[in-house]
Amino acid sequence: MDFLLNATSAVMATGPLVAMLGATLLGVLIGALPGLNPVMAIALLLPLTYSMDPLVALAMVAGIYNGSMYGGAIPAILLRIPGTPASIATTFDGFPMAEKGEAAKALKIACWSSAVGGIASALALMTVGPLLARATLHFGPAEYFWIAMFGMASVGVMVGSDPVKGVMAAVLGLLLGTVGIDQLSGQARYTFDQPWLLGGLDLVVVLVGLYALPPVLQLAEKCDLKGLSAAQLRLASVPFRKGEVKGLLPTWGRSSLIGIFVGILPGAGGNIAAFLSYNAAKNASSEPESFGKGNPQGVAAAECGNNADNAASMIPALTLGIPGNVVAALVLSALMIHGLQPGPQLFHQNPVLVGGFMIEMLLTSVLILLVGGAAATRIFAQIQRLPGVLLVPSILVLMCVGVYVINGRPVDLWVMLAAGTAGYLLEKLNVPLAPIILGMILGPMAEQSVRRALLISRGDPVELLTRPISAVLAVATVAMILWPVMKAIKRRRAKNMSENNA
Amino acid sequence: MKINKIIVAAALLGCTSSPALSDYPERPIELTIPAGAGGGTDTSARKLALLLEEKLGTSIAVLNVGGGGGSVGASQFMQAKPDGYALFATWNSPLTTVPQVQNVAYTLDSFTPIASTSETAYTLCVHPEFPAETGEEFLAELAANPDKYTYGNDGIGGTMQLAAERIFQARDIKAVAIPFGGAGETLQNFLGKHVDIYGGSISPVLPYVEEKQAKCLVVTSAADVPALPQAAGLESLGLGDKETLLWRAILGPKGLDQAIVDKLAAVIDEAVNDPSYVEFLASKGEVPNVVKGEALGERLREEFDALAVVSKNLGLAK
Repeated sequence: MDFLLNATSAVMATGPLVAMLGATLLGVLIGALPGLNPVMAIALLLPLTYSMDPLVALAMVAGIYNGSMYGGAIPAILLRIPGTPASIATTFDGFPMAEKGEAAKALKIACWSSAVGGIASALALMTVGPLLARATLHFGPAEYFWIAMFGMASVGVMVGSDPVKGVMAAVLGLLLGTVGIDQLSGQARYTFDQPWLLGGLDLVVVLVGLYALPPVLQLAEKCDLKGLSAAQLRLASVPFRKGEVKGLLPTWGRSSLIGIFVGILPGAGGNIAAFLSYNAAKNASSEPESFGKGNPQGVAAAECGNNADNAASMIPALTLGIPGNVVAALVLSALMIHGLQPGPQLFHQNPVLVGGFMIEMLLTSVLILLVGGAAATRIFAQIQRLPGVLLVPSILVLMCVGVYVINGRPVDLWVMLAAGTAGYLLEKLNVPLAPIILGMILGPMAEQSVRRALLISRGDPVELLTRPISAVLAVATVAMILWPVMKAIKRRRAKNMSENNA
Repeated sequence: MKINKIIVAAALLGCTSSPALSDYPERPIELTIPAGAGGGTDTSARKLALLLEEKLGTSIAVLNVGGGGGSVGASQFMQAKPDGYALFATWNSPLTTVPQVQNVAYTLDSFTPIASTSETAYTLCVHPEFPAETGEEFLAELAANPDKYTYGNDGIGGTMQLAAERIFQARDIKAVAIPFGGAGETLQNFLGKHVDIYGGSISPVLPYVEEKQAKCLVVTSAADVPALPQAAGLESLGLGDKETLLWRAILGPKGLDQAIVDKLAAVIDEAVNDPSYVEFLASKGEVPNVVKGEALGERLREEFDALAVVSKNLGLAK
């Protein structure tokens, strides 16, 4: 642990501290604007940092990454527009809370949950990182297949009141996920000879359209000319009531563990972490039917889960040289430009730098409390005071800019418009949108993994089940599907019994 | 009057051609990279762009357009104006490999070759307990056990797979190709023993060779690679003509003015051989390699034709 002391003194210099504070603020802003996402911001920023002190550069990465994961919650709660893919699950209960006039409380819970998740994740990175990284190597294609199936089984809890429509939405997502070059055969699927479709539909573009456009159109429908007055906004700091934090503790603990677990697996991301955490919180709750109607536990689970993914996603990158997501790949590329060789010896090459980055991930998680709680939440929440006539066009412009800069091509704007129109109509038909994105994320993961696993087993499907980890995951998947059913049957029986007794 | 017109016409002509060349570049250049941010091509190109900015005295904006094994970025770039302000930093695969298996909108003629920058070999590595210690033993073991071993590679019909299959076809070897999303994913599955053989670029696996968790027995270059002393170059295996490398180059759109090509090629040559860049390349197991203009076009065509044969034999060709 000597390296942590040395690294701490290196981080506690003016440069890194200022960078962390500024970048966390910037990150919250980036997360709060639909379309803009941390991957893009870090990719744009990194070249500027090549000539900087690496600890300052990494401080900015840490700040943007952690800040944006929280920032995504702000529009998710206030406007039902997820700022990043990872904040979709936050809309489920965050927006209903805001509708009930509990926006300030929801933002506060999101802020604390983000910080708790981030801190837990950073501590995991510092302490058990290398150990966990070795464990992830046991996850081969068969195990990834089951993780994707496990995630898909969780669709059950987010299908809403009409399971058939929910499943239809999930299938639509699976279909959209097949567009593009098939990685295993090299065949183009559903590309209609359009070169821009070869890479598949960009998840963020579809997401912005599907999730941001319908709420914006609904705002427009209200024809709101005035906006909320300062008094209606009620943003005065709401202190946690007695016992409230205690009530959130189990959710935080569970979501942190889920987030860390998902984070260390290369390829899975914050969005999956948030969905699974939300799902787990709902299953564990004594009143699952209150989820989706403004239960603070839902906000806490989603926000804690997506931030717990962050530092953990750096574990395979820093300890094995295997980047699990784009942000981790960018961090590795920055380290290489500064002359370091990613891999197991990275830590020995420069313990102060690697340890410093870990501490920066920790400190920026703490900074979320300061930046988010004290400043950003109140400032950003002011947008609710804007009348709809101003808010609608402003959000539309931001969405277009955000979507355009992802790949720099106008056709993405049409994709966004198409996805948005579809989303608007589907909402009118009471089709839940979350399963669509889940299908798009998990479908390709499940398909590619199972086909790779079958290539390796020379076509024998039994091998999908015979390895210990995949067997456990398979059982968990079945349990995940049966759990709500059993619970419902049990409840019905209890109800019958009480009726009989009466 | 008439003379005036001629002068105006001459001035207009002048505006569009010669001063543009002598002043080039007078505004920022956009550099398209057909891969996502953070990968090998991206890192090399961004580092090179820093040096080029200095030498050209203009800023360079990097645009990452990933997807389709590089074909999405290449298709998008081919529509750029050939004025020297749109450049394309790519590795060889989108130009010479991807068109073999995908229906792409571009051909080699859609681009003006400017200069290649660096190159490296691919390598095939096995776990320490694999029953072979040399490249020759490795190939013999594979040949003796058809379809017994799996090898991970960077994607179906990708350059890495074709590089391996060129060797395998020459030795009548059958191994099961497992395509992954990139060298990182391949490495993860190799280290977890989900596949028997790592196939990919050298730099990700290098630390594991030093830790004795992997032994690399073959490199796909004709010559041996100093960083991997145990690996045999193809020349020593009698397969020198089967060399397939991973190399990187900068190209312009079709119809780029020769004067601009020459100027850029000279500047790229200087930047690539800058000691700081050579050192950076070495840390990734790459070496500088500058082939300019028409010679680069020739290299692309030769590689394209050779890989066409391999992919046809594999039944991958479209």
